[in-house]
Amino acid sequence: MYDLRVVVEEVRGFCDLPMRPGDYFEVKGGRIIIPDGKHICMWALAAMLPMFPAKQRKIAETNDWLPSTQHMCCPDPNGMVIYRIERIPVGDSVSPACADQGINPKEDKPFPRMLVNEKVCSGCRSCELACSFHKTGMFSETESRVRVSKDEPNGLDRPLVCRQCGNARCVQACPVGALERHPETHAVQLKPEICQGCGACAEACPFGSIHFKDGKPLICDLCGGDPKCVDRCATGALRFGRAGEAPLKGGARAAMK
Amino acid sequence: MTCGYGGRVLRVNLTTGKFTVEPLEQDLARGYLGGRGFNMRRLYDEISPQLDGLSPENKLFIGVGPLVGTMFPGAARFNISAKSPQTGILGDSNAGGFFAPEIKFAGYDQIIIEGKAPKPVYLFIHNDTVALKPAEHLWGLDIWQTQAAILNELGDPRVQVAAIGTAAENGVRFAGVFTNLVRAAARTGMGTVMGAKNLKAIAVRGTNPVQVADPDEFDRLLKDIDRAIYEHREYPARALMGTTKLVHALNEAGCLATRHFQTGRFHKAEEVSGEALAETYKLKSKSCFACTIPCSRFFAVTDGPFAGLKSEGPEFEGLAGFSSRVGVTDLAAALKAVDLCNRYGLDVISTSEVISFAMELYEKGIISRSEADGLDLSWGNVDTVLTLINKINTREGFGNILADGVRAAARLIGRGSEELALHVKGLELFQADPRGLKAYALGFAVASRGGDHLRSEPSFEFSEDAAAGERLYGHPDAAFRLKYKGKGRVVKHYEEWSALSDCLEACKNTIVNMEIIDFRLAAQLMRAVAGWDIDGDEVQAICERVVNLERAFNVREGLSRQDDTLPKRFTHEPLPADSGPSAGSVVELEPMLDEYYQARGWDINTGRPTGTKLRQLGLTKEADELEERGLING
Repeated sequence: MYDLRVVVEEVRGFCDLPMRPGDYFEVKGGRIIIPDGKHICMWALAAMLPMFPAKQRKIAETNDWLPSTQHMCCPDPNGMVIYRIERIPVGDSVSPACADQGINPKEDKPFPRMLVNEKVCSGCRSCELACSFHKTGMFSETESRVRVSKDEPNGLDRPLVCRQCGNARCVQACPVGALERHPETHAVQLKPEICQGCGACAEACPFGSIHFKDGKPLICDLCGGDPKCVDRCATGALRFGRAGEAPLKGGARAAMK
Repeated sequence: MTCGYGGRVLRVNLTTGKFTVEPLEQDLARGYLGGRGFNMRRLYDEISPQLDGLSPENKLFIGVGPLVGTMFPGAARFNISAKSPQTGILGDSNAGGFFAPEIKFAGYDQIIIEGKAPKPVYLFIHNDTVALKPAEHLWGLDIWQTQAAILNELGDPRVQVAAIGTAAENGVRFAGVFTNLVRAAARTGMGTVMGAKNLKAIAVRGTNPVQVADPDEFDRLLKDIDRAIYEHREYPARALMGTTKLVHALNEAGCLATRHFQTGRFHKAEEVSGEALAETYKLKSKSCFACTIPCSRFFAVTDGPFAGLKSEGPEFEGLAGFSSRVGVTDLAAALKAVDLCNRYGLDVISTSEVISFAMELYEKGIISRSEADGLDLSWGNVDTVLTLINKINTREGFGNILADGVRAAARLIGRGSEELALHVKGLELFQADPRGLKAYALGFAVASRGGDHLRSEPSFEFSEDAAAGERLYGHPDAAFRLKYKGKGRVVKHYEEWSALSDCLEACKNTIVNMEIIDFRLAAQLMRAVAGWDIDGDEVQAICERVVNLERAFNVREGLSRQDDTLPKRFTHEPLPADSGPSAGSVVELEPMLDEYYQARGWDINTGRPTGTKLRQLGLTKEADELEERGLING
């Protein structure tokens, strides 16, 4: 019987818990061993749980697909945390405690980001106007970082906003390093002088949130941590903060109080 | 490109296929503000007297306003105007949604459509590129199918489409122009004009910015305006129900149009109210462009014979029109009727009037079952209502008679039915009973597009604020809906306020009914948006000019005081005892008309503007022409 080590290999979207690349836990027999001070995602755990007994067994069957199956994805379509399940020899122990890795759990919170509740989006597109107005002083959909996608016959409205992915693919995709994280807000920023306008970031974005204007991508910088689109959202479909907590900015009506 | 305006007028000749772009004249912008003002100016100048509304010489004017395309809440509207094929006088209609901002983003303030296409076409405007595209494959499609087909063909989901349905193609006189599937510019038959021109739709895509002269000042004003909206006592009800909140409110007041205005209270009003819709089928709130009040609703019917019906809306006019007005007690059935009208492209007010008119004739034995294609025209018969909507759309059998509107149908049927045709100047009245609403009654009588509630919307008479009535309108009775004095001045003021809303092209619910914007604040907005040096008095003068220009157009068509009237039902038949607080009410119209004409400075005997008045408002050319034709006195 194998023991298992389950390692976060990649965060393709944004994980709120957060899980970060390199985080791991171990499965020993019927026990789950979590390094001191660390945590695991219950949803990912639930999704992966049926795989653990199968991976633990020493079975060699013709056409067995188990040995070559190493990667699992958590069920959150916005999170897309990729886990790698490794078989390890029996008896090996967990790695040293978190303290040795310089992680303080209390301070280890995700940065605030745009939170979207599509169910209450009224489709008014005020967020597009607020964004372009703040950035340029004009009202222009083509200058807006946020776009509302509509399906009128079915009454669906979906604001497409930058999710500020924890492991941002746009940053990775940029061949010249024109995208970087803001040190304080952690928002993705563009260095326009370096950008060559190749479009790799837009292609890499899984949420369709990057638009181009005059050959350069419109990158949401969260208005320096004070997003103006949220200020104009009448229904609170757009908020700014951490998932699971009271939002830092909760829409136009909340701002009035 | 100037601040607040695109600076351009697009003129399209369907006969020749020629497009011209004219600069927006500063005089037009400064003198008429936008939208309705622009259209009325063109209407007077370019439509000759006694023109047939269905002739190629009739022109369609589509105007947007200076606030459209900005972040101003509810600046999402356009007016579409022409000679009306339904009423024979001034035709004008207005709708929200996302079409108007797209015109502005394309860089235009007005679109003028002339002539007639030899074959069905649709107009596609993409910024500076304008094209007439073949629409033979679209002819015969309903509104929803047309929008889907055009979006699929153009391949850009952000294109905005204004379309006509099969009703307009078939020449139904009260066919409308629809955008975003359900936003209807449906009154006075503007869709019928499009159909007569073989113009199936107008598709617009605009990617130009809309600029304001003073962004910081505009932003400051907007913050105050937003706060006033959110803190308004009506905000929660409007966000939840929109205008459908009126079903319950008017029923309580005893002036909800019930079974063709035979009484003012509908016994099943609570089951077909905005509250019932919000509690049962509503899924979420929807908005027009940039609006802070998500007053529209997306609903889905999940049970019963109409299971699977999903759509947006309806407004009060459609909900009450197909419930209390025709006696239908089933909410889902009323929603289905509205949905049919939305797909065919029919005006819900006119459609519900011709149907309830037929039902009353049947009840009174004036028409028989055989004359109505064998249909049972009893009150509340859902199948009959839906069948008649279909028959009106296809101009089939009895539907063909009703498709010309209630005035024409009554003339054809005769036998005393003219007195039961509830219209003013050929335009059917909406579902609030004027016997319980004196200022509205006066507004219906004098409205420039006929029997219309949107030319004034004098909601002050609900306020019961006697001191304000005395201060603002010269008499405390102005504040009470069952009283008469002061109503002429109330209607004058609200006509100008409504014109303000229609010229800026922002929502009347916000500007007028919630009283968010007055003339002084409108002047501040125009300073911030257009950079003008203008004050509130000048803005009000512009609005008064628009109202008088419309009157001048109608005078040129032969209208006078004798046309400013109401159906006999409202002037001679008291509301019955079961109408609650409005029981016993009728409308005594003449004294209010006298007061109104006096407040306007018009001739009290003829109801026409004087030459002095017109010149005072800068309408010198109109004064000269009407004097020359012997229609007005100096």
